[in-house]
Amino acid sequence: MSMNERPSRRAVIAGLSALGLGCALKSGPASAAPLAKVKADGVLRVAVYQDNRPWSWSDGGNLRGIDVDLGKALAESLGVRADVVEFPAADDLNADLRNVVWRGGLLGFRPCDVMLHVPFDRQLMVENDQVAVISPYYREGFAMVCGNEQTDCEVPPSQFKGKRLAAETGTVSDAYLLGSFGGVLRSDVHHFGTGYAAVAAVGTDKADVALATRAQVEAAQADHPAAAIRRRRGPIPALVTPGWDIGMAVKENSRSLGDALEESVARMIADGRLAALFKAHGVEWHAALAG
Amino acid sequence: MKGNMTRGWIGASLAAIAMVGLGASAPVLAQNAAGPTSQDIVNDASTPGDVISYGLGPQAQRFSALTTLNASNVKKLVPAFASSLGGEKQRGQESQPLVYDGTIYVTGSYSRVFAFDSRTGEKKWEYDARLPDGIMPCCDVVNRGAAIHGDKIIFATLDAHLIALNRHTGKVIWNKTIADYQAGYSATAAPLIVNDMVVFGNSGGEFGITGAIQARDVNTGELIWERPTIEGNIGTLHGQPNGMTGKLNATWVGDQWKTGGGATWLGGTYDPDTNLIYMGTGNPGPWNSHLRPGDNLYTSSTLAIDPATGVIKWHYQTTPHDGWDFDGVNEFIPFDATINGKAMKLGAKADRNGYFFVLDRTTGKFVSANKFVLQTTWADGYNAKTGRPNFIDANRPGAPEGAEKGKSVFASPSFLGGKNWMPMAHSKQTGLFYIPSNDWGMDIWNEPIAYKKGAAYLGAEFTIRPIAPDHIGALRAMDPTTGKIVWEYKNKAPLWGGVLTTAGNLVFTGTPEGYLKAFDAKTGEELWKFQTGSGVVGSPITWVQDGEQYVAVMSGWGGAVPLWGGEVAKTFKEISQGGSLWVFKLPKEAAGN
Repeated sequence: MSMNERPSRRAVIAGLSALGLGCALKSGPASAAPLAKVKADGVLRVAVYQDNRPWSWSDGGNLRGIDVDLGKALAESLGVRADVVEFPAADDLNADLRNVVWRGGLLGFRPCDVMLHVPFDRQLMVENDQVAVISPYYREGFAMVCGNEQTDCEVPPSQFKGKRLAAETGTVSDAYLLGSFGGVLRSDVHHFGTGYAAVAAVGTDKADVALATRAQVEAAQADHPAAAIRRRRGPIPALVTPGWDIGMAVKENSRSLGDALEESVARMIADGRLAALFKAHGVEWHAALAG
Repeated sequence: MKGNMTRGWIGASLAAIAMVGLGASAPVLAQNAAGPTSQDIVNDASTPGDVISYGLGPQAQRFSALTTLNASNVKKLVPAFASSLGGEKQRGQESQPLVYDGTIYVTGSYSRVFAFDSRTGEKKWEYDARLPDGIMPCCDVVNRGAAIHGDKIIFATLDAHLIALNRHTGKVIWNKTIADYQAGYSATAAPLIVNDMVVFGNSGGEFGITGAIQARDVNTGELIWERPTIEGNIGTLHGQPNGMTGKLNATWVGDQWKTGGGATWLGGTYDPDTNLIYMGTGNPGPWNSHLRPGDNLYTSSTLAIDPATGVIKWHYQTTPHDGWDFDGVNEFIPFDATINGKAMKLGAKADRNGYFFVLDRTTGKFVSANKFVLQTTWADGYNAKTGRPNFIDANRPGAPEGAEKGKSVFASPSFLGGKNWMPMAHSKQTGLFYIPSNDWGMDIWNEPIAYKKGAAYLGAEFTIRPIAPDHIGALRAMDPTTGKIVWEYKNKAPLWGGVLTTAGNLVFTGTPEGYLKAFDAKTGEELWKFQTGSGVVGSPITWVQDGEQYVAVMSGWGGAVPLWGGEVAKTFKEISQGGSLWVFKLPKEAAGN
């Protein structure tokens, strides 16, 4: 769009070969070095999204969130210091992986050892064979909440006509409210910069209904305990996707590091540390389907 | 006025030559330490000894009245010098140089400014903006040029600042944040100077932004007025509200006008004759047009703005309810011509959507729209009465159905446009417009889910491909009074550089293959070319210095095109990066007339 010549859209997928998908990491000549280098340097450089509450956001200059804590835990498991850095989301994941994992930013942003919060998606893996998407650590989904005004949150969503409906601009939640049921809700949609802000708006009576990701909803509920943010129990009809798995990405030739991170995550799942880490942010951990 | 100007130019040219004859140290014309005024910039097109605006005059016709260099002697044009931008920072060099008082000022990739001696090519100073490493520009790290006024060189940076430098030293005079780069805003256009104000548009990411135009005091950088481009948003003048753009919810549903797009990332032109600023606006968001019924004003439009107040005087929307990513930012160039026996004040714009528009520049009234590319699949011409496109509804990308992607359509032009950012030129001699165009199409469809920021968003997918076996680029000469293409030059790779035309019956433009080329303005015959060593995606200029005519252009392949793969990439995959200012001249002894 705008914008500029905006190449950020996914380019042609040229010369695709069905290379090893999924968790399997291809071995390469440099495959043993990355873990050794991380240990030798004594630091794991972890990339997290900017302004992505409750996963990663800046709280008065301090990075906070589930992904921030996960990055620190991963570094600790390797016996090294964590260098958690935030980056702005580009127009799509391919650009993020290029800027953050395998090439670096054009203006000097150094590639990171691992990027968190990468959808564990086959098409994404196919389009980005310079990275390995590994270790799915959460199953994301959607949730709808209502506030004081909308006392019955279980009605068919088309009955929300005339209420103040909140969603993050450009998300699947936004598209659902704008486009479903013949577009009857379209003029009632209020747009917010993040899903968390859309849910919080219900808590501050600036909106009546919000649709966002499950983690955004649970975190906003936990952060506004006094507010009447009530979660819809029944399903959300005709949503285009039930959810997706979230994993992490390392360079394709960082097999040794990827293996070590997968082992760390597996141990954190097994001993309950991962669930506890989520719970500290008010979010219930859900195992990835692909896990 | 037009009739006398040619004589005026020749007179000025002779005067320059005469002064040089008086003594080698004589200053050129009236150029002095005070530097150019706003009035000097208005007169730029009639002072051939300098180039002090983006477009060789605020109308940006990119026309020089110089005739020393012409179609019969251009073969003798030779390099005078080349100046490297140095360092490891190369990538796209989309800038247009300025020339004043013995100095060539040019911006480079990565938000840099250089001052070179215009006779020797030696570097006088360089300014490198300190950019945060966390910026992730969507579309390369280009800059399209600077403005000059008084003692200042003014340019915009990738982190959305406007910076004024002392033109003698390169030291910062003022530095203003025009938008928040952390919210996805950037800036790459050349600023426009109007009545001691710097007029500038905004650029930014796909979602959550609305376009706006700002006017700032050229001496302090302080904001004078701001005009949002999307209906429902309120403008300001001297810090006070100054009325709503358009009418709330007239062409947008709900609160989508708050995030509707319409960025003005290419800047604008100014016409002293009508005292109007003309700005083009970007396309609307989200991409899936079915989610935003209505015309979505003022996206994909040209706006005419009162420079004193920032109030919109008229608008014309080139692509109502865009669904193909046909951004409407392209330059609107004022010109005068006789249509159906009537002398008219007109303006022209070659749009992304493949149509060349002629409007009455005093009112915005539609005059004509004619195709300048091989194929337009999305519309079959324009209705002359309403000025609206005859949409071909079957060729609008469909809405996703549940989890299924929306209907894919083949669309021509592609979203990179029949013409992208690169500016065209208008010759007062031939009356023609010279359009750097591209013939390419795309498969486009709306996706129910596209991952962004680690989550599920809306998206559109594109596959760009050539539509002709022998070329993508085409430099075309368009007669604005008939809508006919008079000649065309085909180029294998996409054209991505600006055009210059002169009264010497010449047209100059660069190619990704590395050539600066000169053509006969009347016939399109290729008369001269020079290999610069990297792709040319900048805009050429010409001026007279010490009695000889010079031509300059930036060389350095980059911009948005190399970011794309597929079939299109085959035409440029062997081109190396670069970063040089190339300067040519016609030696006195070769002028021979």
